[in-house]
Amino acid sequence: MNTIYEKLVDMYAGEELAEDLNAELEELAATNPTLKSDMTSLRATVSQLQNSDDGAYTEETHARILMKIYARAGEMQQGAPEPIYLQYQLPMSG
Amino acid sequence: MPGETNHDSLQEKRWLTALNEGDTKALGGIYELYGERIFRYTFRMLGNRSDAEDITAETFLRVLRRSGELRADGAFRTWLFRIARNLCIDKMRQHKLMELPPDASIAGTEEKSTLRITVQQALSELPAEYREPLVLCDLEEMAAREAAEVLKISVPALKSRLYRGRRALRDKLGGTQE
Repeated sequence: MNTIYEKLVDMYAGEELAEDLNAELEELAATNPTLKSDMTSLRATVSQLQNSDDGAYTEETHARILMKIYARAGEMQQGAPEPIYLQYQLPMSG
Repeated sequence: MPGETNHDSLQEKRWLTALNEGDTKALGGIYELYGERIFRYTFRMLGNRSDAEDITAETFLRVLRRSGELRADGAFRTWLFRIARNLCIDKMRQHKLMELPPDASIAGTEEKSTLRITVQQALSELPAEYREPLVLCDLEEMAAREAAEVLKISVPALKSRLYRGRRALRDKLGGTQE
């Protein structure tokens, strides 16, 4: 297919075309089966992708990640230097 | 981004200011705002729940580690996704070395689950340079300019990868099209 058509189809699939251009391309596709197939299948792919909610983020996921964050943040804070008034003072020399 | 409101942006500003002032509890607030999006992104990039959970947690810990440098100037979300992306790349390199398979155990109804696994599998088989724009733009509905910033590429380069990625995904999904 012509490169310019490919670019237009790419934009059509992502719904980036202006309304008039969109309609013009659809009109053109009505008499061009190759173009029509490219437009339909590519838009269907984008739609399929957008509707493929992975369902992976559950309440358990939320809680597990939060626990990991708090556990590691706690470790980080334990590793922080103690306030100056709690630090061992070296004996003065000389 | 989907569902983003002025309220979210005000909340972000509030939590970042609090974190910047040393209130570590604010990290929980930032996680509430972005945790799900970052997890979804990492899960789709890695295809493995356990790794995605670890990387999501690590992303927010990086925020805590650099809390002194944070500014609520609107670029925080881009920066957050960039951290997640870098961590995903490191993880993918490890997987490549260890040849770990992606996790396909995703819960849900049988039919939807099949669709998810098919899309997830097809995505995971794409080169990362195609997968990233698809995840950010088509799944996370991020604007092209912001996605380009996350990936550190120009907008035309992003669009080129996005368009090629969609065509490559279509080829992979082939038989599942209506």
